[in-house]
Amino acid sequence: MTGKKVLVVDDEVHIVHVVAIKLRNNGYEVLSADNGAEAFELACKEKPDIIVTDFQMPVMTGLELVEKLRQHQEVKDIPVIMLTARSFAIPKEQQEDLRISSCLSKPFSPKELLGNIEDVLYQKQVMVSN
Amino acid sequence: MKLRRILYAIVAAIVASSLFAGGLAEWQLSGPEEGWRYAGYQQRIPIVSVCYIVGAMGVICLGWYQLRLSGTVASIATLLQDDKAHAIGDRKRFFALLRMTKIDELYQAISKHFAGCTARIAEYEKQIKDLQVQIQLSQRRGKNTEAIIYSIRDAVIVIDESDRLLMANEAAGQLFNFDFNSSQHKSVGELIGPDQGEFVDFLTRSRQSKGQATRKEIEFLEDGIPKTFNCIVSCVYDQGQQVCGAVAVLHDITREKQIQQMKSDFVSHVSHELKTPLASITAYTEMLADGEADDEQTRKEFYSVIQSQAQRLNRLIENILNSSRIESGLIKVNKEPASLTMLIEEQLQMIKGYAEEKKVEVIGQKPIVFDQVYVDKDMIHEVIVNLLSNAVKYTPSGGSVKIKIEVDEGASLVRVSVTDTGVGIPEDEIEHVFDKFYRVGANKKQAKGTGLGLNLVRQIVEKVHDGRVFVTSQVGVGSTFGFELPLATRQVAGAL
Repeated sequence: MTGKKVLVVDDEVHIVHVVAIKLRNNGYEVLSADNGAEAFELACKEKPDIIVTDFQMPVMTGLELVEKLRQHQEVKDIPVIMLTARSFAIPKEQQEDLRISSCLSKPFSPKELLGNIEDVLYQKQVMVSN
Repeated sequence: MKLRRILYAIVAAIVASSLFAGGLAEWQLSGPEEGWRYAGYQQRIPIVSVCYIVGAMGVICLGWYQLRLSGTVASIATLLQDDKAHAIGDRKRFFALLRMTKIDELYQAISKHFAGCTARIAEYEKQIKDLQVQIQLSQRRGKNTEAIIYSIRDAVIVIDESDRLLMANEAAGQLFNFDFNSSQHKSVGELIGPDQGEFVDFLTRSRQSKGQATRKEIEFLEDGIPKTFNCIVSCVYDQGQQVCGAVAVLHDITREKQIQQMKSDFVSHVSHELKTPLASITAYTEMLADGEADDEQTRKEFYSVIQSQAQRLNRLIENILNSSRIESGLIKVNKEPASLTMLIEEQLQMIKGYAEEKKVEVIGQKPIVFDQVYVDKDMIHEVIVNLLSNAVKYTPSGGSVKIKIEVDEGASLVRVSVTDTGVGIPEDEIEHVFDKFYRVGANKKQAKGTGLGLNLVRQIVEKVHDGRVFVTSQVGVGSTFGFELPLATRQVAGAL
C-alpha cells in the first residue's frame, strides 16, 4: 500500500502529527486539514485514496464532511475512517448510509488505525480489480 | 258568653212556658157540651203538652248546641290568632274561654299538635341552618378550589363528559389564547383549535379511555416560541364512579428539557475534551514504545507532547472540580491584595502565543496607579485566562482583542473589560452565556468548549469575590465580556 495518499483531518494538531508520522513511517503520503471545510477542498483537489477524519471539529464536522463528499461525483467513493471522542457511537445505519468504512474511538492506537487503513485500501483494491 | 247562656235559658224557658200555657188554655176553653170534642180534648191534652214540651226542649237543645259550637269556633279562632307564648302566659283567660270539656280536649289536642309542629319547625330550622352552613362551606370550598386552580402556574383545564370546557385557569387561557369567562361550556376542540390538535386528541382520548392518569410530552408554540409541556390528564369520576369529565394539567418543562440537553451536551463535550488529550498521550506513548521515534529530537518532542497533554487534562479536570467546589462552597480561598493590571499582564504573556497562532492582535492596558483588589490570585488568573482565551477563540483571523481596566473611585470598584471583534452573540442568547453548560448555538461550530468557562468566571467573581460579571454583544461586530471587583481600601492594601 505504499505511496497511497491519506488525508488526515483533525483540529488537534498533535493527533494529526502522530498519525502522519505513523503513516509516513509505513510508506504513505500524508495530507492534513484541521476542519471539514478545508478537508473537502483538499479532497477535491488532491483526490486522496482514503480520508481519516475526526468527528467533532469547528466549521464543519466529520459527519458533515462525509455527507458533502458523498454528494460530489469526483470524491464520492473515497473511503472514510472516522475517529471519534464522542460519548456515544455513530449508529450503524448512519455508518452504512454514508459508507463510513470504520469508526475508531479516541483514545485510539496508531497501530490499529494503520491496520484499519490497510484493510480498507485492500478491500477497495479488490473491488476495483473485480 | 255566660250572659248569652242565661239569656238563652230565659228565652227558652219563656218559649217552653208559652207553649205549655197555650196547650193548657186550649184545653180549658173547650166546652163540655161538645161531648165528642170533650172526649177528644181529654185524649189530646197530654199529647199537645208533650209535643210543646218536646218542641221547646228541641229548640233549647239546638240553641245550646249552636252556642257551644260558636263558642268552640271562637275559642279555636282565638287560639289560632294568639301566639303560643301569649296563650301559655295567659292560661286563665283560656280556661275561662274553654270551660267546656270538649274545648279543653280540643285545646289540648291542638296544643299537642302545635307543640309537635313547633318541634318539627325547630328541627326544620336546624336542618335549614345546617344546610346553609354546608352551602356556605361548599361555596367556600368551591372558591378555594377555584382560587387554588387559578393560582397554579401550570395550565389547568377541566372538561365535562361531552368535552366542553368547565374550568380553566389564566395560564391555560394564555397558552391556548382564550378567555375562560366567555368560553365556558364551549367545545375544547373549537376553543383550542387545530394547531394544538395533538393536545385535544390526547385529552379526549384520555377521557374516553376511562383509565388512570395518562402523561404525554407535547410541544406548543407560545408567542411563536416552541415550548415543551408535560401534559397529565386524569378522569373525573362522579359518585356512581362514572367518568363525568377530565382534568388536564400542563407543566412547562422547556427549561428542564434545555437543562437536560445542556447536561447531555456537557457530558458529550467533557467526554470529548477529556478524551482528546488522552488520545494524544496514548498515541505518543505507543509510538515511543514501538520505537517509531527514530531520533532523540523526535523522542523529546513526543515526551513534550505527552507532558503538555497531561497538563491540559489536569487543567480540565481542575476546572470541572473548581466549578463544583465553588458551587458547593467547599473551595479554599486565599485572598491577598493584588494589582489587577499586574494579574492581567501575567496572563497576557500566556495568551499571546495562542493569539499569534490565530493572527489575532491583543491590545493591553497601560498600568494604573492604584487598582489594588483583595482577591485569590489563582482564581482571578482563571477568570482572566477564560475571558482572554474565549475572546481570541471566537475572533476570526485579523481581528483584535482589547483589554481595558478602569478604576471607579466613587463606586470603589475596578472594572475589567475584554472587547473582541469576533462573531458576537445573538440577543436572545446573551442572558444565558454565564449559565453552566450553556453554549451559544451559532458558536458551537466556531470552536470547542465545555460551556463551563464562563460559568466558572461568574462563580469566582460573584460568589467568591462579591463582584459582578457583565456582557454586551452585537452579532458580526463583537462582544465585550468583563467583571467588576471591589477596590481594596488603601489601609487594607497597605497593612497586608
